Amino acid sequence: MPHLTLQISPGGPILDLLVGVSVPRAAALQRAGQPVPQAVRVRGLVDTGASGTCVDPGCLSSLGLSPTGQSPIHTPSTEGTPVLCDQYDVSLVLLHPRLQFTLHALPVIASSLSIQGIQALLGRDVLAACLFVYDGAAGIFSLAF
Amino acid sequence: MALEKEMQTYERELPNLLQQEGKFALIHGVEVGGVYDTYEDALKAGYEKYGLGPFLVKRIQAVEQVQFFTRDIVPCRT
Repeated sequence: MPHLTLQISPGGPILDLLVGVSVPRAAALQRAGQPVPQAVRVRGLVDTGASGTCVDPGCLSSLGLSPTGQSPIHTPSTEGTPVLCDQYDVSLVLLHPRLQFTLHALPVIASSLSIQGIQALLGRDVLAACLFVYDGAAGIFSLAF
Repeated sequence: MALEKEMQTYERELPNLLQQEGKFALIHGVEVGGVYDTYEDALKAGYEKYGLGPFLVKRIQAVEQVQFFTRDIVPCRT
């Protein structure tokens, strides 16, 4: 099983990702004669406490996305009442010098994360396709897919 | 909020769509554009039928599945 192993940083299990328009949207842009925005390199935190994946709005706006979904979410501050959020379709590439893991179409929520030193939360929707090992004693984490 | 009309259409059509629970509905305005096995298939069909939008892709569920975040994220619009 291909895997990548990285150091756990002070901010947690963080890795580099490429966020781009989804493959179906890229095809539609090409059909419409419009340029396909270049994917954006971001730092993403693996978060097993997140059902889904979130991306900073700065990154999503540079891709020129419009919402193609909606989903109710709960956070510590929604106080028991779910909040309906827009979802955007993106492609996601987990970057590593030796291998890549690509998702051609993934729904994500826009959330301001840059202040936390990251631009994405990698949620359990992505982890559903991976094996995630967090070895705190050794200070490393691994993702296999 | 974006996709309001599409969400109203989804809610109106949900009793009929539930025969295909778990699949993904493609909705444009007041029209159901089709039901697909995967998110990517529905998205692909949406971009093929409706160009750059707007359209909604929604998993068909009798009970809406809520996403949970233990981190206090602040959702926002682009």
